[in-house]
Amino acid sequence: MTMNTHPSLPEFEYVQPATLAEACEFLASHAVEARPFLGGTDVFVRMRDGFLTPQFLVDVKNLKGLNDLHFDPKAGLTLGAAVNMNRVIASPEVKAYYPLLAEACRSVASYPLRTRATIVGNICNASPAGDTIGACLTLDGVLHIHGINGPRQESMASFFLGPGKTTLKLGDVVTAIHFPIPPKGCVGMYLKLGRNQLSDLSIVGVTALGYPDSNCKSGYRFRLALASVAPVPLVPTQAETYLANHSITPESVHEAARLSTDACSPIDDVRGSARYRKQMARNLSAKALAEVWKKLN
Amino acid sequence: MAKTDRQDIPSPIGENSPRIDAREKVTGAAIYADDIQFGNSLLHARIKRSPHPHALIKKIDTTKASALPGVKAVVTGEDFPGYIGLYLRDRYIFCRGRVRYVGDPVAGVAAISEEIAEKALELIEVEYEILEPVLDPEFGASPKAPLLHPDLGQYAVVNFIFPQAGTNISNHFKIRKGDVDSAWEKCAAIIERKYRIPQIQHVPIEPHVATAKVDETGEITLWVSSQSPFAQRNLIAESMGISQSKVRVIAPYVGGGFGSKAGVSMEALVVAIATKVKGHPVKLLLTREEEFYTAFVRQGLVAYFKMGCDENGRLLAMENKFYWDGGAYTEYGVNITRASGYSSSGPYEVPNVRTDSYCVYTNHPVTGPMRGFGMPEMHAGLEQCIDELALKIGMDAVEFRKLNCLKTGSTLVTGSKMHATGLSDCIKKTAEAINWGTKAPPSAPNKRRGKGLAIMWKAPAMPPNAGSSAWVELAEDGTVNVGVGGQELGQGVFTVMAQMAAGALGVPYESVRIATPVDTRYSPYEWQTVASRLTWSMGNAVANAAKDAKRQILDTVAEAWEETPEDLNIVNGVVISYKSEREIPLKNLVVYGLPKPGDQGWRGGPVVGRGKFMPAYVTGLDPETGQGERAVVHYTTGAQAVELEVDLDTGRIEIIKGVSTFDVGKAINPEMVKAQMEGGFVQGMSSALFEILQLKDGFVRNPSFVDYRIATSADTPRELQAYIVEVPQDDGPWGARGIGEHSMVPTIPAIANAIYDAVGVRLEGPPFTAEKVYLAMLDAGIVK
Repeated sequence: MTMNTHPSLPEFEYVQPATLAEACEFLASHAVEARPFLGGTDVFVRMRDGFLTPQFLVDVKNLKGLNDLHFDPKAGLTLGAAVNMNRVIASPEVKAYYPLLAEACRSVASYPLRTRATIVGNICNASPAGDTIGACLTLDGVLHIHGINGPRQESMASFFLGPGKTTLKLGDVVTAIHFPIPPKGCVGMYLKLGRNQLSDLSIVGVTALGYPDSNCKSGYRFRLALASVAPVPLVPTQAETYLANHSITPESVHEAARLSTDACSPIDDVRGSARYRKQMARNLSAKALAEVWKKLN
Repeated sequence: MAKTDRQDIPSPIGENSPRIDAREKVTGAAIYADDIQFGNSLLHARIKRSPHPHALIKKIDTTKASALPGVKAVVTGEDFPGYIGLYLRDRYIFCRGRVRYVGDPVAGVAAISEEIAEKALELIEVEYEILEPVLDPEFGASPKAPLLHPDLGQYAVVNFIFPQAGTNISNHFKIRKGDVDSAWEKCAAIIERKYRIPQIQHVPIEPHVATAKVDETGEITLWVSSQSPFAQRNLIAESMGISQSKVRVIAPYVGGGFGSKAGVSMEALVVAIATKVKGHPVKLLLTREEEFYTAFVRQGLVAYFKMGCDENGRLLAMENKFYWDGGAYTEYGVNITRASGYSSSGPYEVPNVRTDSYCVYTNHPVTGPMRGFGMPEMHAGLEQCIDELALKIGMDAVEFRKLNCLKTGSTLVTGSKMHATGLSDCIKKTAEAINWGTKAPPSAPNKRRGKGLAIMWKAPAMPPNAGSSAWVELAEDGTVNVGVGGQELGQGVFTVMAQMAAGALGVPYESVRIATPVDTRYSPYEWQTVASRLTWSMGNAVANAAKDAKRQILDTVAEAWEETPEDLNIVNGVVISYKSEREIPLKNLVVYGLPKPGDQGWRGGPVVGRGKFMPAYVTGLDPETGQGERAVVHYTTGAQAVELEVDLDTGRIEIIKGVSTFDVGKAINPEMVKAQMEGGFVQGMSSALFEILQLKDGFVRNPSFVDYRIATSADTPRELQAYIVEVPQDDGPWGARGIGEHSMVPTIPAIANAIYDAVGVRLEGPPFTAEKVYLAMLDAGIVK
C-alpha cells in the first residue's frame, strides 16, 4: 500500500471549445491527453487522488444545446448532457413522468454537489456504483453522441464494458440522453444502501421498474438494475425473464431476487464485503420488486 | 433581601445566556488560525513522511531539495536532538534513526510556495531498512514482538506513569483490590468477554494549522489552532532547550478539537522549521489525508472482562485486562491507560478488583486524547458485560445497575470514597424517559425494536496539580474584561466564564467580554483545555478573580461611605448599601477611584481582580495496588438509553430515541449543558455505528470522508432528550462539574445493549455497521 498525504490537483490545461465539432476534433487529436468533463464532480476528485492525469480538460458543458431540458408528450424527455441533477429533480415533467429519475438523483451526494453533478456525467464515469444509471437503464435511455463522424445514438443497455470503460470512442462527446415516454402505469423505485443516510456511495443499489404488459404471463413486466455488485451496472436479465414468464407471487419474487443475485459478481472493498453485497442484492431486489408490485396493484 | 439570599445563586448563573461568540461566528467575523494573514514573507512548510510502518533510516540526502530555487530551508532530525512529550518524552520532533508509523515526519521543507515545497519533498532521498512492524497491541505486549523503543528506559517520565524498559509497554497500571481469586467461588454468575475497539478520529472540521515565526533573538511566536497554548509553550521550550519566556503562543478560536489539538503534535514541526528561516513566518496546514494519517487518533483497545455477582445480583469481583493500541508514540496516551485503570470498575462498587491496563507501542498512527479519554472504549465492553451478568442472574438490567452503582460514600476501586453523586437519579430518570420495561411494536414487519441503557463515570484525567488562573479588569464604563487561558472550542466555555464573572461580580452578563485571542504573553496561565475541567477549574479561577475585584471595589466604597464591606453589594453593575441604601454605579469608580471629601485626595483606583485554582488534595496511587486516598478531583456520572430498530433486510440500525441524563453538579447554562449531551450522544452514536480507521499493514485505508463515515444530521435520532441532575460538587463553582466528554461515554454500550434486546446478537466491537449486524444475524440463523 502507499500513502498520499498531499493529494493535489495536477497541472492541466483548460480548454473551452466553441462548437461541438471543435470539441470532437480536439478530443480526437489528443488521444490520451484530453478528457471531456461536465460538472467535474468525479473528474476532479479522481485527478486529485492521482487516478486521472489528463493534460487537457475539455469543458463541454457550455456547448450549444447541452443545457436543454426538453419534454415532448409524444417523443419523451431529452436531457442535455450538462443539465445538473437539481434541475432534473425540480423539473415538473420529470416529476410527472419520470419520478424514478428524480428519486435516483436525490440519492446522489448532497444538494450543493448536485448543482454540478449530471446524469450524463454519472453514466460516462461508468462506475458500477453510479446511482442514476439504474434509472436510465430501466427507463430505456438512449445516449446522443457526437463523434468525429457526426451524431449517432447508442442504447444504454450495451454501453458499459467495465469499471470506467464504455463504448465511447476517441473524439466522442455525449450530448444528451433521451428517454421515451415510459410505459403506461409504470412504477419505479431505487433502493440505495449506503453506510449512513446521507451523501454516501452505494454498497448496493437496486432499481426496479414495473408496468402492465399484456405480453407477459403475469400481465406485468419488471425491469431491474443493480449497482455495485459487478464490474458494470448490472441488468439481471434472467430475473426479468423469469418474472415475465411467471405469475407474480411472493415465491416468484424471491426466485427472481435469487436469480438477480446469481448474476452478481461483487468484490470485497473498503465499503463492504462480497458476501454482504450478495445478500443485499437478493434482499433489496426482493424488497424493490415487492414494493413496486404493491404499488402496481 | 436577606443576607443569606445574597450568597445564593446569583444571576446569570443557571440561566440560558446567549452564546458570547454567536454573532461573530454566525456572521463569519470570527478569526481562526488559517484566517490570519502574514504578507509576502510567509513561507510554506511541507513534511516528508515515512512510507513504512517500521524502518531504520539509513541515510537522508537533502542536497537536491536544498538546491531547488525557492526552497529556504530543509530540516531533518539531525537538527533537533531533543525529545518531546507531555507525560512521557518518547518522540523526536523529526525522526532520528527510526520511523515508527506510516506518516512519521522525516524531514521538513520551507519554501516560497506550496508547489515548490512539494517538489522539494520529492527531491529528498531517504534510504530505509525495513523492519517487522507491530500491528496488534496484545502481540506488541508479548516478548515475541520486535522492540519499537529500545530506549524506553531512558525516557523522561512523570512519576505516575510506569514504562517497562525492554518491552513495548509504555505504561502498566495495576489495580489490586481485595481478593479476586477467592471471590469467584462466591459468585452465582460470572461473565467473561473480549472486545475489540478500533481506532477512530476526532475529524474536526478545521484541520490542524500552525504558523511559526522566530525572530533574530530566537524568540518564537506560534499562531495555532490549539487546545493547549500553555502546554505547547512549555513542551516546545523544553524540547528546544530554551526558556518558556521565549515562546509565545497565540491561539484564536478553534474549529473543533475533541482532544486532537491538545498537547503538541504538528506544531513542533513548524516551529522547528521556522528556527532555520528567522524572520519568516512559516505555515503548515494539514490536508484531510494528513489529518487521518498523522494527527492524533483515538487509541484502539483489546479488552478482557471477567465479572461476577452473588445470587442477589451484588457485584463481587472484576478482573480486567486492557491492551491499549498506543501507536508509534504514547507521550500523551499513556495517561489514558492510567485513567481507564483507576476507573476500571465502571461506576460500581466492587469489593474485589484486579486490573492490568497496558499501553502498548505499535506501528499504528499516533494515539492521543479524544473526547472521553479512554472511557468510551472501556465502558463499551464493561456496560455490555453488566447487561449480560444481570440477564444471567435473572435481574432486570436497570435494577442491577441501581443495586450496584456508586452512591455517595461508596468505596471506589482505588479505595477512596465517592463524593456526593446523583448517579442513581440519573439511572431512574433515564429509564423513565425511555419507558424502560415496555416494548413498542416495530414500525414495519421487517424491523425489530429494542432498548438499551448504559451508565458511566469519568474523572478529569490530568496531573494532580493542573492549574488555572484568571483576571478580571474593569473599564471606565463599568464593563468587565475577563482574561483566561482556556480555549473556546465550540463547547461554550467563554459564555460560561462570562456568566460566572457576571454572577460573582454582580454585573449584567452583557457587560462582560472575554479577552481574546488567548495569548500566552498576556493571558493568564491555564494547563490545557481538556478533561472537561474548565467549567470547574477555570470557573473557580474566574469566580475567584471576580470576587477579588468585587472586594477591591467594596473596600473602596466602604471606606468612602464609612460603612463596612459586609453591608455592601454589587447588583446589576451598581454598588449598593443594604444599610444606608446609598448606591453608585461601577463606572463612577472602577478606574479613577473616588475623591475624598474636601478635595483631600483620592482612594481606590483601577480594579484588576486576580484568581487561581489548583486542586491541592490529589494524592498518588500505590504503583503495585492502585490504591490511594484520592486519585482524582471528582467523577461526573450519568446514564444514557436508546430505542432503536434493526432492519432485518439490511442489518441497518435506526436510532429512534436517545435519552441522556448527567449529574453536572450545577448547570451554569442549562441549554448549553443539554447541547453537550445531544452533541456527545451524536458523536457517540457515530462511533458506535459508522466510524473506524481501517488499518491494514499500518496503512490507513480510508483517509478521507469518502470512506471514513461520520454521522450527519440525517442520521440523528428523531427524538433526543437531555435531563440535568444537580448534586453539587463541593469545590466546584456554584457546585458545577464538567460535562463535555461524558456525554459520549455510554453511547456505544447503550446501543449494543439495544441491538441485543432487538435481535439477540452481540458483536466483538463497534462500529455496528449494517454489514456486521446483518452478517451476525445471518450466522446466528436469525435471518436467512
